[in-house]
Amino acid sequence: MSDRFSILLALALCVGACAGVLGIRREPSHAFEHRAHVLKGVGCLSCHEGIATAGDSDPMHFPRTADCVKCHTKPHDERRCENCHGETHVRGSAELARRHLRFEHRTHMPSAQGDCVRCHVEVGLERPEALRPKMAVCFGCHQHEDQWRTRDCDGCHVDLAAEQTLPSSHLVHDGDWGREHGLRAASARDLCASCHSERYCAGCHGVGVVPALPGRLAFDSVRLSGLHRAGFRARHSLEARAQPGLCMTCHSERSCLDCHAALEVAPGSAARSPHPPGWLSTSRGGGQHGPQARLDPMSCASCHGGAGEKLCVDCHRVGGPGGNPHGHGFSSTKDKLVDLPCRLCHGGL
Amino acid sequence: MGGTNARLAWLFVGGSVAFFSRQALGEPLRLRADAIAEARAPAGLVVLQGQDRKYPWVDAEALVWAGARTDPTADVLVLSVKLRAPRGWGDLRLGRFVVSTGAIRPLAIDGFSAIARAPWGLSAEAFSGFPVVPRMATTGYDQASGGRLAQTITSRATLGVSYLDQRSHGRLADQEIGADLAAVPAPFLDLAARGAYDLLSSGVADGLISGSTRFGQFRVELFGTHRSPSRLLPATSLFSVLGDFPSQVLGGTVRWAAAPRLDLLLTGGGQDIGGELGGYATMRGTLRLDERGAGTVGLEVRRQDVPSSRWTGVRVTASEPLGPYLRVSTEIEVAAADGRSDRGAAWPWVLAALAWRPGKGWEAAGAVEAGSTPRYRFEWNGLVRLARTLEIP
Repeated sequence: MSDRFSILLALALCVGACAGVLGIRREPSHAFEHRAHVLKGVGCLSCHEGIATAGDSDPMHFPRTADCVKCHTKPHDERRCENCHGETHVRGSAELARRHLRFEHRTHMPSAQGDCVRCHVEVGLERPEALRPKMAVCFGCHQHEDQWRTRDCDGCHVDLAAEQTLPSSHLVHDGDWGREHGLRAASARDLCASCHSERYCAGCHGVGVVPALPGRLAFDSVRLSGLHRAGFRARHSLEARAQPGLCMTCHSERSCLDCHAALEVAPGSAARSPHPPGWLSTSRGGGQHGPQARLDPMSCASCHGGAGEKLCVDCHRVGGPGGNPHGHGFSSTKDKLVDLPCRLCHGGL
Repeated sequence: MGGTNARLAWLFVGGSVAFFSRQALGEPLRLRADAIAEARAPAGLVVLQGQDRKYPWVDAEALVWAGARTDPTADVLVLSVKLRAPRGWGDLRLGRFVVSTGAIRPLAIDGFSAIARAPWGLSAEAFSGFPVVPRMATTGYDQASGGRLAQTITSRATLGVSYLDQRSHGRLADQEIGADLAAVPAPFLDLAARGAYDLLSSGVADGLISGSTRFGQFRVELFGTHRSPSRLLPATSLFSVLGDFPSQVLGGTVRWAAAPRLDLLLTGGGQDIGGELGGYATMRGTLRLDERGAGTVGLEVRRQDVPSSRWTGVRVTASEPLGPYLRVSTEIEVAAADGRSDRGAAWPWVLAALAWRPGKGWEAAGAVEAGSTPRYRFEWNGLVRLARTLEIP
């Protein structure tokens, strides 16, 4: 019991000691006292002067020290008010909105009837996370279903690709996104294209044409995760064997051969055979090569494809010593005497 | 029609329209050039990319590269023009790009893709073209065509069916139909599934299903995958006739925002590879060193345990800004296979990088990496990248 208590105490102490690093104890920052001003009866337009008639390209209407001292005639500090009152990320969010969204306060004021909180819902909170209205707030009045269905986002978003805003609800990009993204894109590729350019997809999926994967080009961005990161060259055979078929969803059988030939580890090079002892046996069962080929046929095709298929055909042709290579579940609609690859083995009948 | 001339014609059309849109509209043109050199080989690479997008009815983009490892070579990764009908009723893409419709896996083609959307949620997409052959090489009578029909139901679900017909040297290499589903039946529940059925050998080529939910600081996902390797190979390959020995995974992922600056991810699953059982698990933690996440430390531990592949890997990353323009990063990985072999039992790898980004415009980065591989007990490499981004009004 005492051991358990000691462990819990040690853990608590660790978390406490690391509270700053973990972000549990935040650096002191001071949200602007919107609520206090409202309770004192100070209207929004008293400080954000001119916002009611502001257009899309007008300057931001953040109050400056000169605006504050109109009321606060004896400031407690000589520094600029916005240095302490208000949080940088809140201002930054508003500046990003100005850059990436088409929005005019002046067209919204008549329907809002001076009630700014109707959109800026977090103004009333002691510590608002963001004062910029979320998209759901826009949808409270603007029913954009037609635009959503037809991916017509340009009415509000200047350039979604440049904006780099991640969806906050469905299609979230957290979790194991490397595995998930293909599944999501299967039904919503044109939705993905709202933000991502062709180059983004082709950077990885333009297999054979890609000079180097994005992760390799951005070698200094170590935060990137992905299948091919870090020492992938050393572990790629382990990865391939662990998930048979996964490589084939992007790579052709030529991909392996091209790379191995460049590194001189392909058939015909000076490199030794990669197969372990007992791989090929003349005894019953033929050794390990049959079962392994069935589990991961691309590994075989990557070296023995094309002209290399003759090696297999010599043994496994109809009447050959290797026997029937078709495993369970095999079926084909092809004409075995005419179509390839069937006729390689069946054509000699 | 052989692929060569048609492919070049598409590239010419794509390039011409990109040029036209720039000249006629005078809109901002985004350009980026990257030059990368590495000590190993030695090798060099220049990547040029551009994007022209201001008017809603036309986008043009291109990415071309040239480089040398053993011989000088060059290629076009993307050269495409996208024309959009008013209010998003339809798109037409021309040139070289990647298609992936519904159950059809990503495929780079020189060709076209057209999509039409109706206000009641129906969309129809069709594409056709020549599968891209690397390094400007050509093969005769390669061709891929297909399409997808999808219906969105009350903004909560999308159901699609798709078809692919691919030929290699004129011979049928792949013929699949597929189905895909994405649904948000409740705000906290997100479902997705897709599957492809091989018509040539009558069986499921691959299938994936995923369901996820979020509550508080957690996101939980359950997933399953099914892949039949022999059906994923082109039907013209001799190795496509070995039978159906699918690889299946059933697993889950939990993401936990454990603290404001600490994210944890745990993913794992059980595997059935042609009747052989196993599993894998990965734990990843990312700690941001400041509110903006400019500095980070990451740890990833991974264990793979199936009869054909048993290994453990550990990866540590760290990145920290040194002032406003400089950033230092490092990445260390050790992968260790169970049991010793003459190719080594553990393969360490380390990278140290320094990057300089003075804002928009120029950026430069350099790195040294060293490690051990199954082929070499020790190897090292030096990497340098110089990039320039331009926006021409």
